[in-house]
Amino acid sequence: MEKVLSPFIYFHMKKTATLLVFGAVVISSMAANISETLYINRGQFMTSDSSTFSYTAFNRSSVFEQENARLVADVNDNFDIKVINNDSIVHGFDIKGYAGVSNTIQPGDSIIVACSFSSESVFIYYDNLNYPTNAYMGLASMIVVSSNQHSKFYWNIKEHEKQFNDTISSGYAVDWQEYYPDYFTINSKSNPDINTDIDARITGNIGDTIDIYMINTGQSIHSIHYHGYHSEIIHSSKFPHHQGRLKDTFAVYPMEIVRLQMVPDQEGEYPVHDHNLVAVSGGNIYPNGMFLTILIQQ
Amino acid sequence: MTKLVATLIGLVWVIALSAQSDVDVFLIARNTGEKVLSNNDTIRVFGFAENLGSQPGVPGPTIVANEGDSVHIDVWNVSQGAPHTIHLHGLDVDQQNDGVPHLSFDIPHMDHGFYHFKAPHAGTYLYHCHVASTIHVQAGMYGLIIIRPTDGGNTTWNNGYYYHKEFSFFLSEIDTTWHTDSVLEHDHDTSFAIHYVEIPKFDPQFFLINGFSDQQLAENQVVLNSESGSRNYIRLTNIGYCGTRVILPPSLNAKIIDSDGRPLPEIEYSDTVYVYPGERYGLLTEANEELTDSIEFQYFDLNTGQIKNSQFIPVNIEGFNSVVDENMDNSPLVVLPNPFADSFIIKTQLEQNSSVNIIVSDVTGKIVTTHYEGDVLVGEYYCELGEGIKNNGTYFVTLIVDGRTVSTVSIIKQ
Repeated sequence: MEKVLSPFIYFHMKKTATLLVFGAVVISSMAANISETLYINRGQFMTSDSSTFSYTAFNRSSVFEQENARLVADVNDNFDIKVINNDSIVHGFDIKGYAGVSNTIQPGDSIIVACSFSSESVFIYYDNLNYPTNAYMGLASMIVVSSNQHSKFYWNIKEHEKQFNDTISSGYAVDWQEYYPDYFTINSKSNPDINTDIDARITGNIGDTIDIYMINTGQSIHSIHYHGYHSEIIHSSKFPHHQGRLKDTFAVYPMEIVRLQMVPDQEGEYPVHDHNLVAVSGGNIYPNGMFLTILIQQ
Repeated sequence: MTKLVATLIGLVWVIALSAQSDVDVFLIARNTGEKVLSNNDTIRVFGFAENLGSQPGVPGPTIVANEGDSVHIDVWNVSQGAPHTIHLHGLDVDQQNDGVPHLSFDIPHMDHGFYHFKAPHAGTYLYHCHVASTIHVQAGMYGLIIIRPTDGGNTTWNNGYYYHKEFSFFLSEIDTTWHTDSVLEHDHDTSFAIHYVEIPKFDPQFFLINGFSDQQLAENQVVLNSESGSRNYIRLTNIGYCGTRVILPPSLNAKIIDSDGRPLPEIEYSDTVYVYPGERYGLLTEANEELTDSIEFQYFDLNTGQIKNSQFIPVNIEGFNSVVDENMDNSPLVVLPNPFADSFIIKTQLEQNSSVNIIVSDVTGKIVTTHYEGDVLVGEYYCELGEGIKNNGTYFVTLIVDGRTVSTVSIIKQ
């Protein structure tokens, strides 16, 4: 049983009677059609100290992985995203800031979402049902649309309180006013494992233009500090007027998108970490939290 | 002969202006400090002292240099405990001087560590120990770094805003649970650069500004005392683990002009500033009336958003600064008279043929008048504006030369 949602922007221009329409067809023919299948899987998140807790994720196969799938496309590409609910409870699907795609998915059911993006942008796709609980339990990731050839790195920032996950998984409610997370991750990894994630660990050469796409799919505000370099805020979904600021430290709010650009001017290996230094820990052990390094070479 | 003397004098002047100094700093890292809290309890702290006879303060000594200076810091670890470092936060120094133990070096007990950097863009920075930093920063091992413009004068940066008075408010918290021996005397194997340390739950009871809280603030002159018509430069720095919402009296006409040692591309007119851990902000305030009020600092939990505490700094704006400060002539933008009745004159110095755009906006940011000239010759530039401004109040005049914002000054119509 599939439900097909109406596409928001879709190119159906076939008539070539006018130059305008002809142009549109040319653009359309340059765009790729991307079909993605996302499974909502339930499994056990494993932390840096081998603790485990219940978790859910959008994966590209029916096998649970604790890192969500990241969707990357060029401007004007057309997405057909099939979302299959592999879980035993009802889930939702939405793209924050993109109208007309919100829906629910019954256990064992699926939906198809058609969408396209006409400019460089970053979106958070997530389970909007029972917000923030389902998204907190893991179902949130990013769609990145770009048209440049810069080096690109992707950070899905998040924190977890093990006890909350276990409580929610058991069907009980949690009190968010008592939230005190004990694990802090980027792309579902903590120090030292984050440094092995080639999509998260920033590497490059002096003079490179490096784009860093960050989303915060947790519930805490994270204050990210870069050693060695200032970066330019290209876009902040929560604070659009921060665009153009040169910063070494900046906050990323829950469900906020921040796009940074860095042009390194010196070589070296430098840390990047949350400057709420409690978030540099994992399972109450320093430095097993949100900490990794940048590596810039000549 | 006269020409030769004049040339020599001029040459000496130029050399003096461009001279950059060596700044030597000596810090002793100690693990045995004591700090008296606002409830008169005394807790153990780590910190940096300037000599063996003094207690390490929280925060530590402020390091001050001018842009372009060569700064040399000698850190002597007399801790009888864990190694220490200083990370030069925001200064973008080379890796060797970055102060992260496993990527730079650490300083064992009774050793010296030497850090060198060339002072970058004028602004507000900080230093802190990066050994088991979650513990050592909470323990008190942090201090402020202020980089002034090349001439060390009262401008925010080279060719920046002139100010009359400067204030620094350095924000942090204390959880007394973390200041017990069982936490501070953490394991440290000196054969490893990374120390795996267990940390307690963070639930601070004391919320500090410049190391003080509650009644200690007034007792230690952590206040904002100024005059109507004076321009004040406020540096806000957060080294704590909470977010801080800083709420200023609207009558201070605050504008946010820089952050993390860099000017903002657009001035933000706001009486509320959020400062997150590790961030710095620079504000200009200029009251046009006397007032007695306070600045509120709300410390909030980054996980729940709950406000955990508020601290207040008294604000006393008394008298009127009617002294014509000759230094104002160094400002890239001079606006006279101020206050004005019908119109005012703008004066600036153009270093080359340029386009000039002047924008006058009110305190809400609404543009009330603009003036544009596309091809202005090098030299002094004058322009008269203000005739169309009807309402009394404070306005901001922004000078943009060749598309680049040069300066913004406030002006009062009355």
